[in-house]
Amino acid sequence: MSMPTPAVLVDDLHVRFGEVEAVVGVSFAALPGRATALLGRNGAGKSTTMRVLAGVVPPTSGRVVVAGIDVAHDTLGVKRAVGYCPDVGGLVPRATPWEHLQLAANLRRMTGWEARGRDLLEKFELGDVTHRVTSGFSHGMGRRLSVILAAFHEPDVLLLDEPFDGVDPIGVEATFEIVADARARGAAVLLSTHLRELAIETCSTALVLRGGARVADMDSIDLQGEEGAHAYRALLD
Amino acid sequence: MLTAPSWIEHRTELRTYADSVSPWRPAEIRRAVADTRHLLRFRGGTVRKPKVVRTAVAVLVAITLAAVVGPLLASGAGDADGMAFNVLLLMPTMMVGFLGLAVASAIASGGGRELLSGESAVAYPVSPTTDHLGALLMAPLNIAWMLQAWFLLGAASYGRGTTDLGWLLAIVVLWIVAATTLAQVIGWCAEAVRRRPHGVATVRLTGVALAGLMAWLQLSDRLFDVLDAVPTLQLLMAGLSGFSVRWCLAALALLAITAVSLLLGGWAAHVAARRMPRDELKAESTAHEARPNPRGVLAMLVRIDRASVWRAVPMRRGMLVLAIGPGLVAFAGALEWSNVVILPGLVVSGGVLLFGVNIWSLDGRGGLWRESLPVDAITVFRARSWVLAEWLLLASLITVGLASLRAGVPTAGEMAAIVCTVLVVTAQVVAVSMSWSIRRPFAVNLRSARATPAPPTVMIGYSAKLALSTTLTAMVFSTAATVAAPWWLIVLLASPFLAWSALRWRRAAKVWSDPVARAGVVTTVAS
Repeated sequence: MSMPTPAVLVDDLHVRFGEVEAVVGVSFAALPGRATALLGRNGAGKSTTMRVLAGVVPPTSGRVVVAGIDVAHDTLGVKRAVGYCPDVGGLVPRATPWEHLQLAANLRRMTGWEARGRDLLEKFELGDVTHRVTSGFSHGMGRRLSVILAAFHEPDVLLLDEPFDGVDPIGVEATFEIVADARARGAAVLLSTHLRELAIETCSTALVLRGGARVADMDSIDLQGEEGAHAYRALLD
Repeated sequence: MLTAPSWIEHRTELRTYADSVSPWRPAEIRRAVADTRHLLRFRGGTVRKPKVVRTAVAVLVAITLAAVVGPLLASGAGDADGMAFNVLLLMPTMMVGFLGLAVASAIASGGGRELLSGESAVAYPVSPTTDHLGALLMAPLNIAWMLQAWFLLGAASYGRGTTDLGWLLAIVVLWIVAATTLAQVIGWCAEAVRRRPHGVATVRLTGVALAGLMAWLQLSDRLFDVLDAVPTLQLLMAGLSGFSVRWCLAALALLAITAVSLLLGGWAAHVAARRMPRDELKAESTAHEARPNPRGVLAMLVRIDRASVWRAVPMRRGMLVLAIGPGLVAFAGALEWSNVVILPGLVVSGGVLLFGVNIWSLDGRGGLWRESLPVDAITVFRARSWVLAEWLLLASLITVGLASLRAGVPTAGEMAAIVCTVLVVTAQVVAVSMSWSIRRPFAVNLRSARATPAPPTVMIGYSAKLALSTTLTAMVFSTAATVAAPWWLIVLLASPFLAWSALRWRRAAKVWSDPVARAGVVTTVAS
């Protein structure tokens, strides 16, 4: 039986910001219908890798193919294929959630999106603030809206960078649902988090990055329990 | 039965907590001064290029010296009649103008600029007194303040000549200091009132009433009588009298005003700090009803960018001060069209300093998400440029509209000059700010009325360059209008300016279309 074509293929990715090399030769593949956790300490290169996959930061070298499109050659195509929840904020301060959805729908030429937009806002308990500017939002509310915006157009590749950061249990459960729905329709999910337990619950595989390089690629079940915690701790140092 | 206290109870008895301390105790005031020094040092440490700052300071000192020495070398300096005498006659009004501008600036910026932004300072015990002192130190870092101060020093030098100039200059410097501290008190008081229930309406009504009063004084020919009676005239007379009892009394009065203002400003800052910033909270809690989907991508982008500008408190307040202020001055002074032509340059260069010089910061941390959306980079660039241009055009049109009420019917040449000036300076400023925004992005939160789009030292550089280029450009058209050049010649004159701006804008757009440059900007403003 042949392996399915990876939705994300990263081969020897390097990202340099001046003197700093944020990602040093990372390689991995993410399959459709699977959720992969990106784990690692602060500054391990998780968010930079996510930004490259989202088409926000261009790779310095290496090959990155997202949904069959080479990031270096067609950034716009990649942006059409992915849904991205950035690690920091991710919201335009003086626009309302509805205006964010309107912008996303407009740029992706979506029609009849209003009902889904409303459903998602209700599911993440943001229905009451649909028409309020996001600068007044709490951190958790902002994270929840960022997850909605990433999943809104049902992308082939869903990139969630720290989606659980500061989110209450209801928001965490709603994010679980979003990931499960994405997997069910055959999308690849990449999820970066510091919360090992949530990563295990959401994802089937895990990549551990350290100092901008990949140090482990494993089944997330191997990170479970006390033994898994020890193994993960050892990988971080 | 009594028992011996446990070790925990012993510890509890030993623990003592500090009481709340009145901010007016000398120790607290000394602490606030020391904290201001710490913040200054901290800000100094965050400067990316200290050499540039040292050069900038040296340039400012050189300009100040030139403002004092230069006029002494001009012919007629210190003459008892002629131009020098006329300059001295104007000085009391100029001194009042300085105070007016300082007050407008302090009120518009919600009590003055922050030495450390509210967001960054939130984790530190920065007292309102320290905030007040910091705002005072930041007040001169504003090109309008500097220009006015240089004009005052220059006018004193030219009017007085070398004889006993030091005594007059001392009075002028003391006035500059006293007026700035007094303006700070008024700024904090206005902010304290603004933060009360119906405070925003109260401050606006007061502004309208003052404008109405000015208009009435002007229309009833009483303005000159009022200006003749302003106390700055007594200060000028004291300065001109050399070292005398009158001079000593004037100097003492100015020092007393400064000292009292310093204390009152601290009190007003404490009052304002205890109240919620209603303007900002209102902007964040207002519901904005959903509008129908726009027709195209550009229209959608423009809509979001407009929301970023028009829903921000500093931009709305800035528009009021920048557009209406010069317009009212032109109205009160019944400026002729050849002089009105100068105004759009000042309005536009001031307006762009509210957000345009770091325009990608409008997205804040949303920049990363926006950059992940599937849209052509140039379309995003066009939308942002358009929103900036329309904002600046509107500000100019308000100013020109107010000025036109008393400027009479313009000739074809004057009309061409005003239209061309508005278009040329807007194009110039849009092109240059789009270029600067890419070259030097900063992560700033434009939520507060006290926020600026770039650090203060950078803002001085930007404001000086903008004021110089737009004023010189406007002067070209003003001269053309004065010499009654035909309208078609004025339009022709505008062409190379517009072509140069278009070229510069296209160059900036090209840089923006580079994914590496764009990533640098987006990750910086979103950090």
